[in-house]
Amino acid sequence: MSSQGNLYAAFVEGSIKGWKVATQNMLPNVVLAFVFIQMLQLSGLLDSIGEYCAPLMNLFGLPGEAITVLISTWFSAGGGVGAAAGLYTHGIMSSRDITIIMPGIFLMGAQIQYAGRILGVAGVPSKHYPILYAIGLFNAAMGMLTMKWFFV
Amino acid sequence: MPSTRPNSPDGALPWSAYVALIVTILFFSGAFSGVHGILGCLDFTALSGSFGKIAGEFTFVGRGGTGARYGFLFALSLVPGIMLALAVVEVAERLQALRAAQRLLTPLMRPLLGLPGAAGLALISSLQSSDAGAAMTRTLYDEGLISEKEKLLFAAFQFSSASSITVYLSMGVALFPFLSVSHLIPLGVILFYKVVGTNLMRLYLHLLQRKNNV
Repeated sequence: MSSQGNLYAAFVEGSIKGWKVATQNMLPNVVLAFVFIQMLQLSGLLDSIGEYCAPLMNLFGLPGEAITVLISTWFSAGGGVGAAAGLYTHGIMSSRDITIIMPGIFLMGAQIQYAGRILGVAGVPSKHYPILYAIGLFNAAMGMLTMKWFFV
Repeated sequence: MPSTRPNSPDGALPWSAYVALIVTILFFSGAFSGVHGILGCLDFTALSGSFGKIAGEFTFVGRGGTGARYGFLFALSLVPGIMLALAVVEVAERLQALRAAQRLLTPLMRPLLGLPGAAGLALISSLQSSDAGAAMTRTLYDEGLISEKEKLLFAAFQFSSASSITVYLSMGVALFPFLSVSHLIPLGVILFYKVVGTNLMRLYLHLLQRKNNV
């Protein structure tokens, strides 16, 4: 079933897939996230958001500004990753903060998109959507706490 | 691409499939990072390499950039890592590493997730491609291989961190250099809470059913 030639082809196929995901999904979302962070920073909103959300985000051991990562990731995981990288380059999030928020980015990632692509396709009745959204958010919160408690 | 057929023949897997699974996990875990000799090349970060330095100090991404321009260069610098990660996953899949994972998971599915072993292939596929996972879930249900309740449990598993492995290895790669722990630890936490979330759904459906029966 698998010869050497096949493996070579698989590697090339996989890297083509990677190129497509990187250029069509990741890159545009990361650019958007950096623009988003830049807008917030230039308008001074980032500071107010940081202050306002500090009590909530401090529960996870994160700075208030990290809420922008969670908002971005809700629309797309690439956006969340981009926002986190943006805050890191601005010196607002540390390596420890990135480590804590990492599972949160994915556990609540792109719920907006996946409602159609997963729940819709699988045929889940819409009355169950709220609990499924809530479970995603709960998982994200617990994932971040787990990192904070056990891994940083 | 994983096929969208939920049922697959249950032939014996070669031992190389299990070896491929273990090696792939070790490759991304960073277990061989900094090891000299032949094992040292089985490390994702080592094989990703590094960009050359400009003026002996900075990569082409530079320092102090902002906005769309910096975001673009930053994103561009991630592309090779993503290509390498998905290439390795594709090779692992060709070596049947994912089938080996499915084989190991099947006996655990009923106690851990409340799902029948028949959903094993769909479960593994959903970690790679949310669309394949969702389509296979629909097929399993339409063919009567999973019940309505099992479909909802499965949906809960898939909806939190959809296509976990692909998304983590494509998007997450961007944050790998900033992590203070092994790259695979956050992924482990993610998979753990996917299972926890599925059981919360199980509890919810159980309570809902009891309420409706009273």
